Amino acid sequence: MDLDHFLRNPQSRRRFFRTSGVSVAGASATFLAACSDDTKNPVKIGPDESDQADVEILNGALDLEFMAVAAYKVGAGGLRGERLAIVKGFLEQEQEHADGLAGAIKDLDGTPNRAKSRYDFPVLGSEADVLRFAIDLENTAIAAYIDALPKFSDKPLRSMAASIITNEAEHVSVLLEALGREPVPGAFVTGRAA
Amino acid sequence: MAAGPAAGVVIADGGVASTAEIAEFERDRRALLRRGFGLGGAAVAASTIPLLWSVRSAFASAEGNDDGDAPVLARAINLERVTVIAYDTVIAGGLLTPVLRETLGRFRAHEKEHEDALVTALTSLGGIPPAPPQGVADVDKIVEGLRDVRSRADVLAFLIELETAAVAAYHDAQATFGEAKLLQTGASIMANEGQHLVVLRRAADQDPIPNAFETGEQ
Repeated sequence: MDLDHFLRNPQSRRRFFRTSGVSVAGASATFLAACSDDTKNPVKIGPDESDQADVEILNGALDLEFMAVAAYKVGAGGLRGERLAIVKGFLEQEQEHADGLAGAIKDLDGTPNRAKSRYDFPVLGSEADVLRFAIDLENTAIAAYIDALPKFSDKPLRSMAASIITNEAEHVSVLLEALGREPVPGAFVTGRAA
Repeated sequence: MAAGPAAGVVIADGGVASTAEIAEFERDRRALLRRGFGLGGAAVAASTIPLLWSVRSAFASAEGNDDGDAPVLARAINLERVTVIAYDTVIAGGLLTPVLRETLGRFRAHEKEHEDALVTALTSLGGIPPAPPQGVADVDKIVEGLRDVRSRADVLAFLIELETAAVAAYHDAQATFGEAKLLQTGASIMANEGQHLVVLRRAADQDPIPNAFETGEQ
């Protein structure tokens, strides 16, 4: 899969995330609703206040974090020098997110999902491709977390998600700067524009 | 800007307290100051150590208020306005390179956009925006030290402290907002403040992203 085609084609992106196992069923589909181009903003906080609903949302987030970890591992192979150091640092932080989410799921007596054995990432032919793909993944995660925020019934989970959103946004800034682009392109980070 | 110590939060005046008590107070105070929404603009000084618990109680009551999102929005508006004043002050202070001045000008514009969005949200709820802060004295109520910056490094240290306070405030507001849209808007603003921190930390030769979970704690 060509990266340019992937990035420009919403259907390709949706297909990629769904076939990568992060949006197949249940809350994963809910969590990744932000991958669509819909702008849906529920008016009031979540109708379903069960721990199980939170577990399903958390597992959807965990799937995305696993994918990010895998993507950064693949991407690191194509980078050198400072860019490699950046990606290694991000890889560790994505793993911390995954560990934190898995811990939260266990705290709710849930069972954390496991990482897939492989992901069919687009062909990343250059360092710039790695950075552009990383930005797309980070923005996808941001949009998904923001979409999920009101659905959490547990308030501390909202704060935790916001702290992850902010960290992903910080990753985006560093990645944009590494590409020679404006690191803070707007006043509101929504993840919907690369 | 006048000469003085490096920017940061300091105990404003002396009190009769042991070193350990002061250290503990300073930790609590720094945490409280970063949570500017909860404080509602109330300054805390060393001489008010006995009042610390009442300040903390005020923060707790803000979390469980019966007035909906309006009080938290009002405090967020105040924080954004104060941040605009801080950026205006450092931009006019003559301590910046042209590139940094331009960057901070963009960040100032972002803060104004936040303020405008929050005012719109508050008025749509039937609330009345708070009276505008008047100057640096109001900045001191959130983070002290703006009057004392005398170098580019001081400017960066102060702004990092202020943006960190904003991140902490929005982080805590996630447990307070009731409206879904406000939760999302608050998170998108918090993330933008985090991006500001990345640029400011890099300019200060600090690790731009020291923590996997950006909560506003240092």
